[in-house]
Amino acid sequence: MANQPAIDPMEQFVVHKLVDLPPLHVGSLVIDMSITNSVASMIAGALILVAFFALAARREIVPNRGQAVAEALYNIIDRMLVRPILGEAGRPYVPYLFTLFLVILVLNLMSVLLAVFNVAGLNFTFAVTSQLAVTATLAVLTFFSVFILGFVKHGPKFLGLFFPSGMGVIGAILMAPIEMLSYFVRPVTLALRLFGNMLGGHVVMSLFGSFVVALGLLGLSGGIASLALVPSAFSFALIVALTGLELVVAVLQAFVFAALATVYLNEVVNFGHGH
Amino acid sequence: MATETQETTAPADGGGGLPQFDAQWWPGQIVWFLIIFATMLVFVRVFAAPRVGDTIEARADKISGDIADARRLKDEAEAQAAAAAAETAQARAAAQRLAAEARAKAQAEVSARLAEEEAKLAEKGAVAEARIAKARDAAMANVAAIAADAAGAIVGKLTGRAASTAELTAARGS
Repeated sequence: MANQPAIDPMEQFVVHKLVDLPPLHVGSLVIDMSITNSVASMIAGALILVAFFALAARREIVPNRGQAVAEALYNIIDRMLVRPILGEAGRPYVPYLFTLFLVILVLNLMSVLLAVFNVAGLNFTFAVTSQLAVTATLAVLTFFSVFILGFVKHGPKFLGLFFPSGMGVIGAILMAPIEMLSYFVRPVTLALRLFGNMLGGHVVMSLFGSFVVALGLLGLSGGIASLALVPSAFSFALIVALTGLELVVAVLQAFVFAALATVYLNEVVNFGHGH
Repeated sequence: MATETQETTAPADGGGGLPQFDAQWWPGQIVWFLIIFATMLVFVRVFAAPRVGDTIEARADKISGDIADARRLKDEAEAQAAAAAAETAQARAAAQRLAAEARAKAQAEVSARLAEEEAKLAEKGAVAEARIAKARDAAMANVAAIAADAAGAIVGKLTGRAASTAELTAARGS
């Protein structure tokens, strides 16, 4: 029992340095720019995206499989989100939403799919999207881009967003703080939703993975302990099912993030049309 | 192995909290993520989105264009078929008219020839009739002379005296 690996589902989220790089000095701030396992995963994800589109984004009238996948991904943003929600006015925002969707999607999928290579002590996967630092960056970036765009396009009138029409003066004054609160909580929910989903999924997978190994080792010690092989096998079956579920969650969370970003954009692009 | 890692990283975790809340790694991750996200944004905006989007649009245009072409060709073919049918009808009418004309012409020729022949025959008939009438007149004249002679002879035999020519002529006239 002494040489059994400890069950620590959080260990997979620990960031550590791979390559030391000189830090960046911004004013009095010192930013450690070393390549960590997190950064390496981000770069790998970006390279996967570039390689995929370089190969798949062909201009054939009859698409091959890769091109069909690339077009299906594009249509998720263009046909399912931008056109129905934003309309023609949303066309300029397609690249940003597409990037958002692709980056989250590739990082989510990588963290689940590349786990097959995690054998013999090697650790290829790192769930970048389960790092709050990253999801918060994405959420804040998206939220404030939209917020600033609102002021650029509509000026101070954009503050009308916080004053629901038809409430009267007193009603508006009462409602404004609530509206503001519900508005500015958006980046928090955006960041926590993605973070929580990826964190939870990976913790559960890691736990059941640990059960497979721990109970399996116990079962192999012979005697009555052999019974432990049964829950070990059960855990293994469960982990297969969980992997499927996590793949769905990976795609769904990328879609949800992009969909919410589109909905928030809609308040800016079609400001005053649905209020 | 894993136990050792946990021992070395445990103090950095801030004592049992989520490793994600270790502020030491936040600035680096944020800056790197922003750099990578910006790169991806440029890549998608310049390459991926226009390439994929334009291809989808080009395909939609091609399909609708092909359908329009097919519809136009079909209309053209139908118009040509209608023109051909009209031409055929016209040609048939012309042929019928030509045939009728030819028939009428032949008919006219035949009747003209018929009339000509009939006139010729009528003329011949008239000449023959005239000759017959002349011959009959001549014969009739001879008959009168013979009758007068016979009458004179009869009168001479009966009366013993010859009748004068004037008497004979008068007798014949009654």
